[in-house]
Amino acid sequence: MESTLEERRQSETPRSEIVVARGLERTFGTGEAQVRALEGVDVAFERSRYTSIMGPSGSGKSTLMHILAGLDRPTAGTVEIDGVEITGLDDGELTELRRDKLGFVFQFFNLLPVLTAEENILLPLSIARRKPDREWVDLLIDRVGLDDRRTHRPSELSGGQQQRVAVARALVTKPAVLFADEPTGNLDSKSSDDVLRLLRAAVDEFDQTVVMVTHEPDAAAHGDRLIALRDGHLVHDAPPVSADAVIELLKTLA
Amino acid sequence: MLSLTFKNLWARKWRSIMTAIAVVFGIALVAGTYVLTDTTTQAFDEIFVKSNEGTDVAITARSEVDQEDGSTPSFSASYLKRVKRVDGVELAAGTVFSPGAILDRERDSTGGGFSPQFISSTLPERLESLDYVEGTVPAGPGQASLDKAAAERSDLGLGDVVTLVGTGKAEPFKLVGLTELGGASFGGTSIAQVTLPIAQRLTGKQGEFDQISVAAESGVSPEQLRDRISEVLPDDLRVETGTENAERNADDIREGLSFLTIALLAFAAIALFVGSFVIFNVFSITVAHRTREFGMLRTLGSSRNQILRTVLLESFIIGLVASVVGILVGLGLAQGLSAILAAVGAELPANALVVLPRTIIVSFLIGIGITMIASLIPAIRSTRVPPIAALSETVAAGGTSRVLLRGIVSAVLAVVGLALIAVVLIGGLSGGSAALKMGAGAVCVLVAISIFSPQLVRPAASAVGAPLERVGGLIGRLARENSQRNPSRTAVTAAALMIGLALVSFVTVFASGLSSSVDKVIEQNFVGELVIQNSGGFLDFPPKAVEAAGEVEGVEAASGQRYATALLDGKGTSISSIEPSTVAEVVTFDWNEGSDQSMTALQDDQVIISEGVADSQGAGAGDRISITSQKGESKEFEVTAVIAPGTLGLTGDLVVTQDTIGRFFGVDLDSSGLVKVADGADVDQVQQKIEDALKGPFPTVDVLNQQELKDSQQEQINTLLAMIYVLLALAVVVSLVGIVVTLILSIYERTRELGMLRAVGMSRRQIRRMVRYEAVITAVLGAIAGLVIGVIFAFLLGIPLEGDGFTLSYPVPVLVVILILTAVAGVIAAIYPARKASRLDILEAISYE
Ligand SMILES: Nc1ncnc2c1ncn2[C@@H]1O[C@H](COP(=O)(O)OP(=O)(O)OP(=O)(O)O)[C@@H](O)[C@H]1O
Ligand SMILES: [Mg+2]
Repeated sequence: MESTLEERRQSETPRSEIVVARGLERTFGTGEAQVRALEGVDVAFERSRYTSIMGPSGSGKSTLMHILAGLDRPTAGTVEIDGVEITGLDDGELTELRRDKLGFVFQFFNLLPVLTAEENILLPLSIARRKPDREWVDLLIDRVGLDDRRTHRPSELSGGQQQRVAVARALVTKPAVLFADEPTGNLDSKSSDDVLRLLRAAVDEFDQTVVMVTHEPDAAAHGDRLIALRDGHLVHDAPPVSADAVIELLKTLA
Repeated sequence: MLSLTFKNLWARKWRSIMTAIAVVFGIALVAGTYVLTDTTTQAFDEIFVKSNEGTDVAITARSEVDQEDGSTPSFSASYLKRVKRVDGVELAAGTVFSPGAILDRERDSTGGGFSPQFISSTLPERLESLDYVEGTVPAGPGQASLDKAAAERSDLGLGDVVTLVGTGKAEPFKLVGLTELGGASFGGTSIAQVTLPIAQRLTGKQGEFDQISVAAESGVSPEQLRDRISEVLPDDLRVETGTENAERNADDIREGLSFLTIALLAFAAIALFVGSFVIFNVFSITVAHRTREFGMLRTLGSSRNQILRTVLLESFIIGLVASVVGILVGLGLAQGLSAILAAVGAELPANALVVLPRTIIVSFLIGIGITMIASLIPAIRSTRVPPIAALSETVAAGGTSRVLLRGIVSAVLAVVGLALIAVVLIGGLSGGSAALKMGAGAVCVLVAISIFSPQLVRPAASAVGAPLERVGGLIGRLARENSQRNPSRTAVTAAALMIGLALVSFVTVFASGLSSSVDKVIEQNFVGELVIQNSGGFLDFPPKAVEAAGEVEGVEAASGQRYATALLDGKGTSISSIEPSTVAEVVTFDWNEGSDQSMTALQDDQVIISEGVADSQGAGAGDRISITSQKGESKEFEVTAVIAPGTLGLTGDLVVTQDTIGRFFGVDLDSSGLVKVADGADVDQVQQKIEDALKGPFPTVDVLNQQELKDSQQEQINTLLAMIYVLLALAVVVSLVGIVVTLILSIYERTRELGMLRAVGMSRRQIRRMVRYEAVITAVLGAIAGLVIGVIFAFLLGIPLEGDGFTLSYPVPVLVVILILTAVAGVIAAIYPARKASRLDILEAISYE
């Protein structure tokens, strides 16, 4: 099954790098309290692929992702998204970038409690004052399995449903990349599975690009590629073989 | 425990400071008021003590009824001989001390606005309290002295000419001396001295004194001498030692100032009332935010009481700090207030600021008291947090909304409040207790509305937010939703603003009613074209002025009018006079009994009465009523007519002839002169001619046409209105601080949400706009509620006043402007919170829990 998917992607999509990071360094604090979260990371992400980032706690996963997504600035190094160098952009330009090219899924579901599920999904478009592509939205809502929950408020949804809303919200603008930081960290295994499947489908069916930080070997096994960090260095970069292999890998990193 | 409290306060220092600010304003006004009035009182004490230096016994006439201008009757100079013959009198001399006008070279007043000016006579050196710091004591005709402060104000020096106006024509004098009262400050008041005969002539008191000052021989105590002198004098003269006289005068001033004190304290109470809403809100929100912390403390074994104590201790400390700051600000405010008073022409004498222990104690009691009371309900709520809350994920949303309880409490309060108001409206408006009831009723109603308002916030915010949603789309929608998310929080914030705006709209409507009523009276009752009145607005002028105006070509009739207070049945009652021969040419009234003809026919022993007097005396035309003058003499007058209500003070409750008010009631000066221009004559030209004729002899007099009269009345109303606005602004500012702090706390609550919005593409501007809209919604909610309530109160209070010729008018454009200004104020209040929200670091926000 893995291989057939791989073949299909190779045949249909051109291999181009949508996110390119070079020589990323990130230092927090000064003097005694100084922490070097990233110590020179070079990494690129290709279109229509699903990459998992793993590593021990404190290894710099979140830091890397925040920098890739333009939420944080590196101490040194550069990031290019879809051909645009983002490290020099100002707040307004970054906002535009987030609107057009990026989608986010956070560990905490982060929906607006005052809006319905559908309104939450449409939120990025409303903020940008853009007309939603109805067909796409309906397809999306159907695909995340919330057709009968459109008018529910977040407080009336389960954690898994909320996270699926968040995924749909991240996809509604058809971003160049979707970043997810431990999207299943707060979910039970059934809900986790739903969300992971959804991300997988986003890549396979909708041709999206997903970069996901996770601690769960099962989750990482869903991806096309697994990179691992330790102490701010990239220490592993290969397609995942199986969940068990991932567990082994993690043991060697710890 | 204590250190934990301090750490907590410090950790939330901004909100603690904002909470304190909510009280600081009110306390500052309380402290400022006390400091101002204490300082003024002490300055007057000093003036009176100093002016009686050297005087062992002072003899004055008793005043049976206080006059509005504070004047006392004079008495015959013949008593001086009797006093001089009393054993133990070393020296006795009579003086005149009478209100007048002191003008400089340009014939401008040497005082400002409402500050009184006095013409007094010189005394023998031993009795004279004024020190001549420059020049000499006036010794003959054409010589005068002036107090140094007034001379400096008007840039006058020795040898310059000053013009004095008493009850006759203006006269020029050469300035020969400058005086001081032992360094005491007079404020805006000025005093000129001339020799006794000239002072008597200027003030129309030939053969009379205002006071006899006596010095005792050595060995005779002032008390002994006082007793001996009072034996030889009639009862209507008051004989006092110098000290007693000073104390009595000081007491009078204190009484006069007590009105100012009460009025200012009332505004302080309003600001504090509004502040208590803000405190309540901040504590409620803080307690909600700390639910988990309290739960944790409970799991660690804290008792409910300990939790209660921590919260109350925090509010105690905030109250304490607010009081200290409030007192300090109050010192500055006292100076600011006296500057405002000076600016409107009522400069008070002032030395160094006087801070009595009472000021400090009251400020602390109120500051700490209000803060702790307002935080009591949130504090009690904090004790209800169960230990399990330590484990709960979500932060509790704040107060429980027990709709039924709220409904009942607010209904009871509303009924009590309306009942109090109704009692006043039905029972009559006069008296301090009525004002107190009215105020208590208004407070009850406002609190009732505030308690119930969370129920109204949802629909009201939807309505107010609708236009914003149309303009702002999603942003407007989110702002509206945010304002509805915690209805009681929005309600309390808006209610705080509502109170200030209710008062603003109340006085606005009332003032507009007053000026349109005044206009109406001028149009309907005043048939003359021109009015002669004092340029100072308040001081009266010699009757010769009206006489002179009557002789000007083109004038058909000029009719003088005087006002005073007389005693009717032991009660001070306003009395005015008319000149029967000319009055019908210049005014017309509605009559219950009689007609305009009754004025023309009025005799010296007759009186026209108001409906109020007719009712209280049960008197009508043909009846006789006894009226007592200021000197205490009583006389019977025959009632000839009853004026219908609605003259709005154009006449007194009693109306007598000019001769009677002069001779019997001792009022020698005209308050106004009404002029009828001859048919065919040009009003403007006649006005100019009268002005020319009066300018020389009567420089303190102005001639106004009807429009100018309206304008001058309008200006007086506006001045008062402006002062009230300034004082109410304090309460409004406090409620805006409430909006600021509530917004900041809400933003803090929604940090993660804001981070997410930013992450999915919301720009800083959009975030700012969202916060701004929310502030506008809250502000407009408060403004609309306040405007409606204010208008309703004005309407209610206007009902019983209708009889006095007062008709309400609703200045809709002004109210709309107020509404818009409030929305703008909301935008301004949102500046800081909006900036804070838009500057949130996205990363921190999304990883914030
Ligand atoms: N804002 C910050 N200030 C100081 N140090 C920080 C900050 N953010 C991260 N760090 C430090 O940088 C290092 C990397 O943190 P990062 O959050 O990227 O780790 P992570 O791999 O995501 O860990 P986890 O799996 O626990 O989420 C850690 O040592 C962390 O303490
Ligand atoms: Mg992380």
